[in-house]
Amino acid sequence: MEINETPVRTARNFNINNINLENVNLPDNITEYTDIWISNSDTKVKFSNFTSPIVLTYGLGDSLTNLVKEMSNNRLKIEINSKTNKEIFIDYNFSNNKTLLEDIEITANEGTKEAVIIKYSSNSSVFHDGIIRINAKINSYLNVIVVNLLNEASNNFLSIQNNIEENANVKFTIIDFGGQSSVTNYYSNMTGDFAQNNVNTIYLGSGSQILDLNYIAELRGKKNNIKIDVQGALTENAKKHFKGTIDFKKGCKKSTGDENESCMLLSNTAKGISLPMLLCSEEDVEGNHSSSAGKIDEKELFYIMTRGFSLKDAMKLMVKAKFNKILETIPNEELKECILNEIDVRLG
Amino acid sequence: MKTQVDEINRNIYDFKNADNYEYKIKKGLTPEIVEDISRQKQDPDWMRDFRLKALEVYNKLELPTWGPDISELNMDEIATYVKPKTTLSNSWEDVPDDIKSTFDKLGIPEAEKTSLAGVGAQYDSEVVYHSMKEDLIKQGVIYTDMETAVREYPEIVKEHFMKCVPLNDHKFAALHGAVWSGGSFVYVPKGVKVDIPLQSYFRLNSPESGQFEHTLIIVEEEASLHFIEGCSAPKYNKVNLHAGCVELYVKDNAYLRYSTIENWSKNMLNLNTKKAIVGKNAKMDWVSGSFGSKISMLYPMSILNGEGSKTEFTGISFAGGGQNLDNGFKVVHNAPHTSSVVNAKSISKNGGKCTYRSLVRISENAPGAKSSVSCESLMLDDISISDTIPTNDIRTDDVEFSHEAKIGKISDKTIFYLMSRGLSEEDAKAMIVRGFAYPISKELPVEYAVEMNRLINLELEGAIG
Repeated sequence: MEINETPVRTARNFNINNINLENVNLPDNITEYTDIWISNSDTKVKFSNFTSPIVLTYGLGDSLTNLVKEMSNNRLKIEINSKTNKEIFIDYNFSNNKTLLEDIEITANEGTKEAVIIKYSSNSSVFHDGIIRINAKINSYLNVIVVNLLNEASNNFLSIQNNIEENANVKFTIIDFGGQSSVTNYYSNMTGDFAQNNVNTIYLGSGSQILDLNYIAELRGKKNNIKIDVQGALTENAKKHFKGTIDFKKGCKKSTGDENESCMLLSNTAKGISLPMLLCSEEDVEGNHSSSAGKIDEKELFYIMTRGFSLKDAMKLMVKAKFNKILETIPNEELKECILNEIDVRLG
Repeated sequence: MKTQVDEINRNIYDFKNADNYEYKIKKGLTPEIVEDISRQKQDPDWMRDFRLKALEVYNKLELPTWGPDISELNMDEIATYVKPKTTLSNSWEDVPDDIKSTFDKLGIPEAEKTSLAGVGAQYDSEVVYHSMKEDLIKQGVIYTDMETAVREYPEIVKEHFMKCVPLNDHKFAALHGAVWSGGSFVYVPKGVKVDIPLQSYFRLNSPESGQFEHTLIIVEEEASLHFIEGCSAPKYNKVNLHAGCVELYVKDNAYLRYSTIENWSKNMLNLNTKKAIVGKNAKMDWVSGSFGSKISMLYPMSILNGEGSKTEFTGISFAGGGQNLDNGFKVVHNAPHTSSVVNAKSISKNGGKCTYRSLVRISENAPGAKSSVSCESLMLDDISISDTIPTNDIRTDDVEFSHEAKIGKISDKTIFYLMSRGLSEEDAKAMIVRGFAYPISKELPVEYAVEMNRLINLELEGAIG
């Protein structure tokens, strides 16, 4: 199954245009998904199961998109109608269900402000194929946190699509730890002037996990701003593909785009491939990207070990320190603790 | 007010000679045509067989599914071999007037007198002039055309020819293998330092034709060489094709600098392949200026096979209206403690498109590798396009890898600063563009490379404002 195509292809033998996953069986016997818990009693937020027809500009590919379109076992439409102080927490915990094909549509109406946390966790191998669509209307602010803590033998597929209107601000934080294969397609269509989008991602790969992250931002309005910050660590035989595209479309004058990807390699058999693209059809913009990879600084490691930590604990501490800049922006202390614990568990 | 940077003035390259040839092969690409080329070139049997095998590979491989659209290329409309009305000579006096006059206008004989240790000049499919200073001959340096090398040094050629760039590398490498003609062969013996550069110049005059020169350079242990390659062609209405191949072998502790100033005409599809294999503690430097061509797909490659080997790529592309320059660099770190430094720049204007496409691969067996990549793109108007598409493939932990890229226009703040120091707006902008290109232009052999003087110093500096 070849999925998650980049918007622009490069040489085939660079092995980065898409990901070819073998041994992934798409589910065919789908039952209703019941392992969902939603916390928010705010009457200003309207929930329903009637999402609009799915139309994705990119997505992971027809096979996975059609699976949700045709067989989704969880549809959730969230309409935010005013500024709220209480976050929406959606918890998919896979206690009984082994398959989740969810379609989430969030509309932040004009002038609204909200945070939405979506957490996936499981103790055994599960199959997750999800689509999250965001409509950020004029002057809205939406903070979305997606946390993938699925079991390491699971399959995790997620397509995210944002439409960001004038002066709207969408902040996305993605914590990507789980899944034998974890494949994410993130697309922002920044249509309005002064639209903003911040994407902060932490990934952690161990064992023989494969992570494929394909982030695409198309800047169309004037004075758009996109920031992509991806921090990750890989250990054992884990492999990561990061494909990040900032596409300055003609007319997005005075827009800026920054993309930073940093991969900490914790073993000599871990592999990190990155393709940070800048596409530019507009002169009056500023685009930057940077990418780095390497192992933990030995001097720093030595220093921590002189303070009484074992090598493994010192490494964990450094990974957590690296992730902290992004973790501290999560507005839920309990969730933050949960993520820190997962780092300890997954790094063994 | 927009910065006005003129297109590269091509008058000095666009003059055409009459299409006088001794033999022009019929258009198309068939086994018969390939055999005909082989006959014309009096190939030994092994080379004829090699060409036919290459054609088979060509027919099996697909066109690239990425990069610029090259669907306008129709091999049925291209003559792959054009023999000029002359033979190889080592004296400019023996070169026919029209051909000599071409190279005179390009400044090659003059440069040879003042600043080069040897010159090769190819006109269409054949090398028409080759010469090298006596003292290098005495030191055992070989600098000759490829056909002579195939005849006189068959064992060396067999050992190296299309081994660095295998036929299945891509479709146009296979095409090259089938129809190659001309090019240079350089052999620098162990320990010999060639202090003054050698230069080969490739001129394609014939319309609806292709140039497929093969450059093979072997720099033995502890030897060093600076090789300069220049190329140009007059503009025709129909497509011309350049699918040359450069294979460089830099042995242990050796040094090679390969400088290219490419200024093909804007009807040229430049689908060239360049690769170097670098030995232990050896160093390979690439310096590249890419100004011409309608479409260019050019990604020189260093394969760092020797422990402690190093490579550096310094390149600039300048795309004007109607040009799509898809250039970049590839490096594979295959041994411990190898290092690579990449500094790529591009300028696009008047609807031109520049793409920087690259690969850095650090393999499992390259602990201690270091790689630093920097690319910057400058857009001079709002109808041009500039893309950066770098792939970084890191397969071991003990590495230091960093990549950074910037894209944008001339900074208003910088213009303001320079104007506050007394410069006019135009002078300020001109200085910024010069400054942008300077890290590359200073690496180019300005004192030797006639092309560079004309293209960067004269055209770029003088034409702004």
